[in-house]
Amino acid sequence: MNKWNMLPAGILLLALSTSCEENTVEEPEIELQAVTVENLHAPGDLMDRSTGEITEVRPFRYFSLEDNQMVESREGDWDIGFKGTTLIVNSGSSGPGTAQASVVTGTFDEISTVPSAADFKSDGENGLAIPTGSGNGWYNYNPSSHIISPIPGRVLLIQTNEGNYAKMEILSYYQDNPPLAEVDPRTTPSPYFTFRYLIQPNGTITF
Amino acid sequence: MCRINLNKNRFTCWLLGCLLFPFLTLASDPICIRDQAGNPIRHAYVKIGSDKVVPVDSTGSFELPDNLEVDQLIEVFAMGFDARQISVKEISELSSLRLTEKIGQMGEVVVAATRTDRSVEDLPMPVTVISREQIQETGGMRLSEVLREQTGLQVVSDHGAGIQMQGLSSDYILILLDGEPLIGRTAGTFDLDRISVANIERIEVLRGPSSAIYGSEAMAGVINIITKSGRERFEASLESRYRSFSTMDLSGEVSINQNDWSVQAYLNRYRTDGFDLNPDVPGNTQAPFQATTGQVKLGKKSGNWEFRLYSRMYREDSDNVLQIIENGKERLADMSSERRDLNFNPTVTYRPNEHWQLTLRSMTSFFETHSLTEMQEDGIVVDAQDFQQRYHRTELQLDRQLGKNQLLTLGMGHLLETVDATRYEDLNRFDAGYLFLQHQWNPTDRWNIVTGVRGDLHSQYGERISPKISGMYKFSEKFSWQASLGAGFKAPDFRQLLLNFNNASAGYYVFGANLVQEGIERLQSQGLVQQLLLDPSQFGALQAESSLAINTGFRWKFSNDLLLQGNFFQNNISNLIETAPFARLTSGQNAFSYFNVSRVRTQGIELDGTWRLTSNLQVSAGYMYLYANDLDVLEQIDSGALFRKDSENRTQRVGRSDYGGLFNRSRHSGNLKISYQEPLSGINLALRAIHRGKFGFGDVNGNLILDDPSEYARAMTSWNLSLSKTFSNGILLETGGFNLLNRLNQYEPSNPGRTLFVGAKVPFHQLVNTK
Repeated sequence: MNKWNMLPAGILLLALSTSCEENTVEEPEIELQAVTVENLHAPGDLMDRSTGEITEVRPFRYFSLEDNQMVESREGDWDIGFKGTTLIVNSGSSGPGTAQASVVTGTFDEISTVPSAADFKSDGENGLAIPTGSGNGWYNYNPSSHIISPIPGRVLLIQTNEGNYAKMEILSYYQDNPPLAEVDPRTTPSPYFTFRYLIQPNGTITF
Repeated sequence: MCRINLNKNRFTCWLLGCLLFPFLTLASDPICIRDQAGNPIRHAYVKIGSDKVVPVDSTGSFELPDNLEVDQLIEVFAMGFDARQISVKEISELSSLRLTEKIGQMGEVVVAATRTDRSVEDLPMPVTVISREQIQETGGMRLSEVLREQTGLQVVSDHGAGIQMQGLSSDYILILLDGEPLIGRTAGTFDLDRISVANIERIEVLRGPSSAIYGSEAMAGVINIITKSGRERFEASLESRYRSFSTMDLSGEVSINQNDWSVQAYLNRYRTDGFDLNPDVPGNTQAPFQATTGQVKLGKKSGNWEFRLYSRMYREDSDNVLQIIENGKERLADMSSERRDLNFNPTVTYRPNEHWQLTLRSMTSFFETHSLTEMQEDGIVVDAQDFQQRYHRTELQLDRQLGKNQLLTLGMGHLLETVDATRYEDLNRFDAGYLFLQHQWNPTDRWNIVTGVRGDLHSQYGERISPKISGMYKFSEKFSWQASLGAGFKAPDFRQLLLNFNNASAGYYVFGANLVQEGIERLQSQGLVQQLLLDPSQFGALQAESSLAINTGFRWKFSNDLLLQGNFFQNNISNLIETAPFARLTSGQNAFSYFNVSRVRTQGIELDGTWRLTSNLQVSAGYMYLYANDLDVLEQIDSGALFRKDSENRTQRVGRSDYGGLFNRSRHSGNLKISYQEPLSGINLALRAIHRGKFGFGDVNGNLILDDPSEYARAMTSWNLSLSKTFSNGILLETGGFNLLNRLNQYEPSNPGRTLFVGAKVPFHQLVNTK
């Protein structure tokens, strides 16, 4: 029985995929391009390692996904901010804007639409939209090697200040996006964020 | 022959007492029974016809009765040797008769499997014995150097030299000394370098949770180290080995056996400079250390009673240098650590007759470690850690022989354990009681069945019932098949229950399961908790890890000179304890505790072959295929929820074929051993090639599992050679080396590269005797 059901399903799938191709031929200008941002330097606060006390507070580095460029001030039109391993969005406790984020699981390329289950949040007193801490948000910290590595399969979905959706993958925490095997946390400069993102400027939820 | 009996030697005497013809008239020419090396076998006996058994005397000789027919066959037996049949005519022309040792240690007695004396070939469980000769041949000083050459055993560096068996790590392997458990583990590893080998008589290795005698820790198997007991009236010897890295081992032994008293004393001193695989980084890979081991064994027999008091002490001191990076500045610190180990083991045995035996034994152990790390410049203490563990166990064992073919063993015991450590709060105490019942049964000559059950009641994790069954069927004298099925468990260790640790610089907390409730309340009252990640009702209820295992295989004695053995195993472990975050803190970091989270399966095949080509040349080979997986990881892979980063750090989905299983396990490992005695010079040569296939050393692509070619350490073969010569006065000289081709692997920090040694052994009592 199952075999018979499979066959029409396959044909249907084939038909769908051909129609998609036709669409892209008709409207080539709609094809969205992922952007890769390299070596965004965002040093964290200085800390006395024996007590855990912060000795020097450093500013966040703000970035606009819409314009693909850094934003100087907290009051500006930015979407996402970086400092050490902490990522913030421009809303709530972090900024004056309305940007929100959600962390989902999958591969960057496969996420073709914003899933309905995605839980978009602003930064607030009850935590940041992109949770901090090893294993919680975007990174793992290995206590024996001291390496910070982006969690494979974590994709950040961001609703920008302007209300457009973007998907984003952090590639590296270390300068020049080295393969993890080549990272030596004592000598490889960090934090230098390399990430790629893709934004849908027409306000829809498909990428 | 009846195989089950309370005590092999005693049983033989009893047998002889019953069967010996009281009025044999003896011929005049004595015939000596010797082994292949020409030494008399004093425990041999001779069976004439169907009902006459003659033992040999203290020189290994016997005399034939003179009223025998010339073509009558007589049989010569000795434990550990192949029996030999010979006609009266042939034997009467000889002055000595040589027996061949059973191949592959098949004739060795094993205590660990059933707590009664049984020979390897009669046990329905996967058991191997490493004999004194094999230990000598390895030229090793510490136990790790002997065990790493055995099929299916892997020595892995993890807080010391730990043993891995059937793919399970040191945490799951019980180490016994003369049948009593040794304590003192660091992060679960029992460091085999704490055990010197010079006074080891033999090592019994029991695989899988096949024995009902043992409880926690014996989930992957049991290693029982049997120390030497003097057999002569007086024995004294001095033994020394010296090798690369200024490593020296010196042992002295004295034993006296007189008037049913026996005293044995052993002292060992070991020192090494250690070695350094990364000279660029300050500090040694292996720290220089000195160790002293002392052991005294006292014994007294009196009628039906036997008393023993064994005691052992160990102390070890080591020093190393450590580089600490503080605010980007590199500073040096001195690290010194010491370990102390002390144990007492009194035993009383009462044997009213050959049907009953009562044994009362106890083990009291103290284990402590101290370590101190101080900055070289200003002497500021960076870290100071103390750990003290006390262990006491009392056990009563009752054996009852039921007829000729059944033996029932009942045991009960109590154990008390306390631990006090820098990272634990207060002094912690655990109590446990246990009961075991074991039935050994030979329903027919071909069947051999051991069943058992053990019940444990523990103050920490409640009760556990672990049933076991093993059976063996002898298709013929040459071929037997065995299977054993058993449940095992491992109690949560101190760290998992009691740890109270805060990493100030990284800002995370780790609480043992017993402290997590208290810890979370404290953090909450300090306003540090942002979100609880787990239901608080789960906190603190840490279960023992449990396993169900099967072992099945064959022993095929193709001929007296060729033995093949194989064993398939599968261990299914559930409730594996691992750390997991339970709360997210306001700092962004996590608080961790221990939870029963994963399921693991290890399975594989062990194969061994031993072939005696001539009386001077023996070749053996061993191989293990191992497949060890985290079942939860497999599930995640199957549901498409496991990812990894490619060389440009982009996410990819992981497939089943990418998964390499658990870290630190080699899919393939094996050994080849050639042992040859050069007939003219009498020099013994033992050449061994020990292969360890590639294994995963750790995660590099960010998904914490083994799935990338760059995560493997490459395969390595170590060629080891020993040459030794024993002179007629008993003096032994030896030389040789380990890892002759100097293969190095940065992921095996216990391997220093090529190591050469010389050694000598002087048995003083033999020098006196020969004069």
